[in-house]
Amino acid sequence: MNIRAPKDFWSGIMFIAFAAVAMLTARGYSLGSAGRMGPGYFPMLLGGALGVLGLILVARSLVIEGETIGRLRLLPLVVIALGVCLFGLAIERLGLLVALIAATAVTTFASRDSRPLEVAALALVLAVFSVAVFVLALRLPLPIWPAL
Amino acid sequence: MDIFSNLALGFGVALTLENIAYCFAGVLLGTLVGVLPGIGPVTTVAMLLPISFTLPPVSALILLAGIYYGAQYGGSTTAILVNIPGEASSVVTTIDGHQMALQGRAGPALGIAAIGSFFAGCAATLAIALAAPPLAAIALQFGPAEYFSLMVCGLIAAVVLARGSVIKAVGMVILGLLLGLAGTDVNSGIRRFDFGFQGLADGIEFVALSMAIYGIAEVAHNLEQKSESAVVTSAIGSVWPTAADIRHCLPAILRGTTLGSLLGVLPGGGALIAAFGAYTLEKRVAKPPRSFGHGDIRGVAAPESANNAGAQTSFIPMLTLGLPSNPTMAMMIGAMMIHGIAPGPRVMTDRPDLFWGVVASMWIGNLMLVVLNLPLVGIWVRFLRIPYRLLFPSIIVFCCIGTYTINSNVFDVFVMAFFAIFGYLCLKLDCEPAPLILGFVLGPMMEENLRRAMT
Repeated sequence: MNIRAPKDFWSGIMFIAFAAVAMLTARGYSLGSAGRMGPGYFPMLLGGALGVLGLILVARSLVIEGETIGRLRLLPLVVIALGVCLFGLAIERLGLLVALIAATAVTTFASRDSRPLEVAALALVLAVFSVAVFVLALRLPLPIWPAL
Repeated sequence: MDIFSNLALGFGVALTLENIAYCFAGVLLGTLVGVLPGIGPVTTVAMLLPISFTLPPVSALILLAGIYYGAQYGGSTTAILVNIPGEASSVVTTIDGHQMALQGRAGPALGIAAIGSFFAGCAATLAIALAAPPLAAIALQFGPAEYFSLMVCGLIAAVVLARGSVIKAVGMVILGLLLGLAGTDVNSGIRRFDFGFQGLADGIEFVALSMAIYGIAEVAHNLEQKSESAVVTSAIGSVWPTAADIRHCLPAILRGTTLGSLLGVLPGGGALIAAFGAYTLEKRVAKPPRSFGHGDIRGVAAPESANNAGAQTSFIPMLTLGLPSNPTMAMMIGAMMIHGIAPGPRVMTDRPDLFWGVVASMWIGNLMLVVLNLPLVGIWVRFLRIPYRLLFPSIIVFCCIGTYTINSNVFDVFVMAFFAIFGYLCLKLDCEPAPLILGFVLGPMMEENLRRAMT
């Protein structure tokens, strides 16, 4: 069997995976009946429908010719996701300034055009701007400095 | 007529110094993100959602609404001058708009885009004022069965209007509905799909999900594209179109406004579909049609009128039924719920100041936008020189701050990182995110109404 439409094939796999997780998890909740629906009824229904759609996509992709997936460039994505997680880890303990500068510094590695001096300047501008606008002007509850 | 007293009430609310300031801030920001490619109104509204905590609800909605229709004005500037859509809804404007710019007619192209948008904005505001009260009156009679059917209809329309494969769009809707079900079930008190995470007790945070998809995944996607922007820097010249241009465009503006207003109301519609529809229609009916694609001014006037009309009439289902027709409207519903206002037909009767204040502010905002866009276009062009390598880290840290502040919960930031990866894969697989977002918002509402309708 050859995959003739990779985009459809992998979309189908993704749908089936989500459907499987939904249905397996929903087994733990009581189903009830159509007249008195339990917490598991609607998720089970949706999971089943999603699974069927996934199967249709996979089956079709083996028969009908379709588009190939463009080249995946995972490095920028991973770098950005790391930057976001770093912000999450730092914000409460180390405060906005540290979190922001760290996240900016890491995410710029996602682009090959970044220049070190520019990044430093950008991080500084963003930090000053965010503290001034979000914390001082709009009074959002964000810690500025590391909590000691 | 009731409508005059209502509009008077609305202008009374919208014309306070404070609300004029928020309206101005909204359209200013909207124009800015409209001009800048790679950052759209959904992300901006999401980033400002935490800020709107601190504002009174009317001011918050006025600010957020301004961003959405402001972006429709700004998007055309980039489309005409750089041949890149500043906003998804100005994709078709690039076709004739940039050709005009190359022929040295950038000024009139920008002018007619603003004039068309202004006319459409006024007409659409009037349409909301006329259509919303009777619709809300009907909606008050709706029971759970009607609501459920309405939501199914809405989701089907969203699927039909989505680009690409229907099966994938349906799949994304269902996936969105499923994601929306995570968290504590209101009927049984059971926590569903929390996978042992305390942070999922209240479900997946909507802001985290939408910023992940429209903010961060988009950035990762954009970084792959080689961006070679050639700004038309030659003098823009007079932005005022000649009288002949206006006469030539008038039918196009009228048709664009009408079609845009109608398409904006449809779920899954809004500005994007309106612009595409209007351009296609114009190509069919306008005479002579041959000049389209070679810098026909009507090819700018029609879609630009339509996207602005569509952006505004998409408020109708949100304000009268409490149902979002596109992701930005879903965000508005989020903003209303933050303030403890349940979106739906009761808003108009219980909070007339809110409803009519927002409607009146749209007209004021459109007036401001013409001033912002015509004489000040040179300033906006300068923003286009900001390189993306400086822009994208800013987008990401603002997304982080926005997601964190919505609940002061670090878990939401990690949720955002997770869905950013998911969103990127969806983009790569041609699975459109808009149906997913609509499904996500409607998930709990649909389940609730289905349950009640069946018992």
